[in-house]
Amino acid sequence: MNGVVSIALNGFREARRNRVTSVLFVFAFIMVFSTTVSVEFTVATFDRVMTDFGLGVIGLLSPALTLFLGTALIPREIERRTIFMVVARPVSRSAFLVGRYIGNVITVAFLVLVMGALFLLQMQFAGATSTYSSGIHREHLIALYGLLLEVVLLTAVSFLFAAASSQYVSALSVTCLYFIGHMSEDLYTLAGRSKSDVIRVVGRAIYYLLPNFDRLDFKARATYFDPTSNAELLSTTGYALAYTVLVLIVATRIFERRDFK
Amino acid sequence: MVTAAVSTENLTKIYTLDLLKGRKRVVALDGLNLTIGEGHVMGVLGPNGAGKSTTIKLLLNLITPTSGKARLFGLDPSDAEARRNVGYLPENPSPYEYLTGEEFVRFAGSLSGLRGAELTARVRTVLEQVQMDRFTGVQIRRYSKGMTQRIALAQALVSSPRLLILDEPTSGLDVLGRQLIRDIILAEKKKGTSVLLCSHIIPDVEALAEDVAILIGGKLVRSGPVSEMLSDEGSRVELTFEGVDAQRLSPLNPEVIQDGRRLIVRTAAASSRALIEAAHQAEGRLISMQPIRNSLEDAFLEALRNSQNKVGSTIE
Ligand SMILES: Nc1ncnc2c1ncn2[C@@H]1O[C@H](COP(=O)(O)OP(=O)(O)OP(=O)(O)O)[C@@H](O)[C@H]1O
Ligand SMILES: [Mg+2]
Repeated sequence: MNGVVSIALNGFREARRNRVTSVLFVFAFIMVFSTTVSVEFTVATFDRVMTDFGLGVIGLLSPALTLFLGTALIPREIERRTIFMVVARPVSRSAFLVGRYIGNVITVAFLVLVMGALFLLQMQFAGATSTYSSGIHREHLIALYGLLLEVVLLTAVSFLFAAASSQYVSALSVTCLYFIGHMSEDLYTLAGRSKSDVIRVVGRAIYYLLPNFDRLDFKARATYFDPTSNAELLSTTGYALAYTVLVLIVATRIFERRDFK
Repeated sequence: MVTAAVSTENLTKIYTLDLLKGRKRVVALDGLNLTIGEGHVMGVLGPNGAGKSTTIKLLLNLITPTSGKARLFGLDPSDAEARRNVGYLPENPSPYEYLTGEEFVRFAGSLSGLRGAELTARVRTVLEQVQMDRFTGVQIRRYSKGMTQRIALAQALVSSPRLLILDEPTSGLDVLGRQLIRDIILAEKKKGTSVLLCSHIIPDVEALAEDVAILIGGKLVRSGPVSEMLSDEGSRVELTFEGVDAQRLSPLNPEVIQDGRRLIVRTAAASSRALIEAAHQAEGRLISMQPIRNSLEDAFLEALRNSQNKVGSTIE
């Protein structure tokens, strides 16, 4: 267990010093900041546009970062053989994978939180200075929370693929899965209308088996101030965490058997 | 029963390659039986691709055997406990480059269960041991190859292991660095640490190991105490002449190397007298004469001559 913590903290420390993450960080900062500059302060729909823009940018960058870092980490460690001196120690490979997973979630979550904080600051500032804005709402926070849940789940899925295959195969697979996971509800309804039994079964299977990323997406609700109940938040959290744990269990089983050549 | 530090039983690793032409099997290691008793230093020699690193990776659970078994202190390497008392220095080690040397060694120690003051003390000790205590605050990506090698050795030593597995520990090191590694291994040997040492540098193995295994093409071709391998041939001498034409000596049929004006002649000690006289008559000058020590290198070269696979292993 101690191994997991060491590996996780170590991963976060490394990421902070890594040039790639630093560049991403600056990029994310600029992107979010530029939303304020581009939104007119005197528009009646200010809050709506600002929320749509700000959360939209974060919602685009967050999964991109998750995917990019999550699918690259393990294959790179194997390729560069940095993994040798870690898994040769008295730690299980599962501990290594879970530790790396937690480290990566911390890294990406940190980036998302900083972007989120910047966005909230802008909302707060607008709320205080402009009559057209009512500042931060609960829905804003829920949308950011949903993005964090997405990071947790999407990183796990990325690790599952990365534990089993190469960087490029997993990046491609997880990207596809992410988009399908965002459309699974639409696919479900679409397939349900089909006359073919096969398509209906496949549609249902996709809906229940693949991660439903749409369920974690509260951005549109924030834009239209559409409230979310605590019960729904709880069930969504449960869904994301349960799915994550399941995916990680499968990933560690695969990883335990892998040859590092 | 005394448990050995390392034992293998018909240990075999076959890699499958998917080539355009179809599947090929590479027999990287073929039925290895090897035992290293506690407190022993075993040197493993072998040409490139002989299966040395493959053996080590099997012992550390980095790869799984195709068949056969490996044991560390009687336990299967896939059991994390089996690796608790092992320090491993990989070939061309690559530590996390954004960490400083000290952070990396600390990290390694903490993974072996060291904590607090004990961890700090051990980290300091091993960093001093590899003479890297001046560079502890520098990130590893700014290290030279030899400095990286030293840090990797420090991480292998940090948990005070009972078994050291070193894959070409002196590669990339300067003369002093090599000397340092030798001294460290000797000190570990004195403490009773078992060592598995793979190296291309035969004098190092000769100086440090009491047992040697020669691997060629994935097969163990010879193994035993170093002392036994050295006493195979009768005594020979090496003579160096100046100003002698090699042809004048050819009736005596010695092994001759022309080195500029010099002539280096290797022959059985019994025929040295005749050679010197022949050279004398040809008005040449004897510069030196020394006995050829029958070295481990000779034993290794001979084993190599007798096998078909000089480089790599069987590909089917
Ligand atoms: N991932 C792999 N896929 C296919 N073949 C491999 C793989 N790794 C090693 N081999 C083969 O296994 C054999 C043994 O390789 P190994 O790395 O154990 O050699 P070695 O004795 O350590 O050589 P060197 O002295 O060059 O380090 C070689 O023939 C090599 O081609
Ligand atoms: Mg090797």
